[in-house]
Amino acid sequence: MFVTVTAPSPARPVGEGAGAPTAPARRRRLRPQSLQPYLYVLPGVLFLILWTYSPLAQTFGLSFYDWNLLPTSPKTFVGTDNYAEVLALPELHTALLNTVVYIAAFFMFSLVLPIAIAMMSRQVTGRARTFYQALIFVPFLITPVATSAVWRWLLAEQGAFATVLAHFGVDMPNVFRDPNLAIWSIIVIVGWQMLGFGVLVVAAGFAGIAPEYAQAASLDGAGSGRIFRRITLPLLSPTLVFLSLMTILLAAQWTYPIIDLLTQGGPTNSTTNIYYLLYQFGFQNFDVGISSAAGVLFFVGFGVIAFIFLELQERLSFYDN
Amino acid sequence: MSFVTVTTPALAAAPRPSAARRQGEEDVAVASRSRVGTVVGRLVLVLLAVFSVFPVYWMFATALRAPENALDQTLLPWPLSLENFAYVWDTIPIGSMLVNTFVMALTLATAQLLIAVLAAYGFAVWNFVGRKLLMFLFIGSWLVPFQVTMIPNYVLVSQMGLLGTIGGVVVPQLAGAFAVLLMVQHMRAFPRELIEAAHLDGRSSWATLWSVVVPNMRPALAALGIMAFISAWNEYLWPTLIMRQSDALLQVGVRSFLSAEGNNWGATMAAAGLACVPVLLIYIFLQRYVVDAFVRSGLK
Repeated sequence: MFVTVTAPSPARPVGEGAGAPTAPARRRRLRPQSLQPYLYVLPGVLFLILWTYSPLAQTFGLSFYDWNLLPTSPKTFVGTDNYAEVLALPELHTALLNTVVYIAAFFMFSLVLPIAIAMMSRQVTGRARTFYQALIFVPFLITPVATSAVWRWLLAEQGAFATVLAHFGVDMPNVFRDPNLAIWSIIVIVGWQMLGFGVLVVAAGFAGIAPEYAQAASLDGAGSGRIFRRITLPLLSPTLVFLSLMTILLAAQWTYPIIDLLTQGGPTNSTTNIYYLLYQFGFQNFDVGISSAAGVLFFVGFGVIAFIFLELQERLSFYDN
Repeated sequence: MSFVTVTTPALAAAPRPSAARRQGEEDVAVASRSRVGTVVGRLVLVLLAVFSVFPVYWMFATALRAPENALDQTLLPWPLSLENFAYVWDTIPIGSMLVNTFVMALTLATAQLLIAVLAAYGFAVWNFVGRKLLMFLFIGSWLVPFQVTMIPNYVLVSQMGLLGTIGGVVVPQLAGAFAVLLMVQHMRAFPRELIEAAHLDGRSSWATLWSVVVPNMRPALAALGIMAFISAWNEYLWPTLIMRQSDALLQVGVRSFLSAEGNNWGATMAAAGLACVPVLLIYIFLQRYVVDAFVRSGLK
């Protein structure tokens, strides 16, 4: 595929252009090669169409059919039945509600706590800071299989938490089997992975704010709370909007491996979320139509949310140029 | 889906020159540094660091205990023993799993870099009809959750006869829209004069790309490569779908080992620890670049 991109004439005459790279010269030089940019972009676009956009269209198509994923079995057209069925499913309502709980909780770990921590630790500088930052980023790099394994061990009935709790005379409940606790254990585990990342992103955002603004405000007699509200937060808003959008779009995906490894959505659907549901519909129940219909609904829903955020981004962001 | 596939190119404006240096100035300038503030800050960081690192430490500590001490809760594992690792080594083909996963991640990182460099060069150097639309295709693709397209992708992979193979894991991710978007931003910052000078010297655009642009963008390429490698290494959903009953890839093999070994915590921790070692090694040696790559790409 890349061969096609090779330029036809490696040794082109030098005198072709007008000498200096002025605008007219540039335009003249680009015209005879007008196919070139397309050839460079082509591999990426092809893959994108093949593995993202065409599948997206197919999912939309499949959402109107009944099919069990077996190549040999027929697809039957059922119109909008799948949508009606999906919307009526109690699992879907639980999953939606859980997704909202997950996202709300992750805002704590990716936004609220990072801002607080980054604010409180701003006065630590130099090597110490680099050292701590190196440590708090570690969970982000731990593979989901290992994350699940070690937390299952930490929270096991003979595990570290149980040992500590026993000193206070408290019995360790089986957190992954308790419908009220399981979701919180997943939240803490994924939160553990996200927190350090959030802190570093917020810290980088702080670092990008020129100190002169606060200095000037301080000279004008503004207190530190006022400086934070009126100067720091607005200048930080691009970072915060980015983190929010990322939390909403990715929370469900970050939880997927942990849910799959630790609870499989149970007990009694208490930890499932919409993405885990898509997997279960498609690859456990082999109900392609239902999975696709649900997928289309979520895609549209998240698309709307993302669009709102991008708009917010444009309006709220103050760039420090 | 990896963590990094979502970035907002719209956020490009935030200026971010060498965070560390700026941080120093800023602290001196903004707050009249108080001793109390420094102590509180340090305490917060210490607590956070302990919270972050303890589970990882505990994983390796448990793995290094002798099997008969597996349930010990002492902070330091003693006597140290490699028996758990030996057990894992004998029970599952973890050596070949490590090699396969390494090859898989390296292939993906290389392919994504290559495709990203080509596409970004096209986008950054030329202004062509349809440029905006094609850019939008890349930007829009990170709004398509992988779970929404996974069934058609699965069908396509199975039609290609790649089900259960590493090839099947690799093909859908060969082009990373994220890598392209990030590369476009780096490429835009590349001085146009150099490209034009190379052109006036009679070089083709292809030769210019490889002899002028790429050598000058090594830091950006390295950062992107590291990030792509780590993301591919930690990929979970797609490999477990494609390689259902296989011990060829780490995430899949270790997962089935974990469910088979149940409460054999020493062995479980050893297997889980081994699955993290390569990434942790990369992190230990390239810590700054790794953090920078992930954090900055998130913002830029």
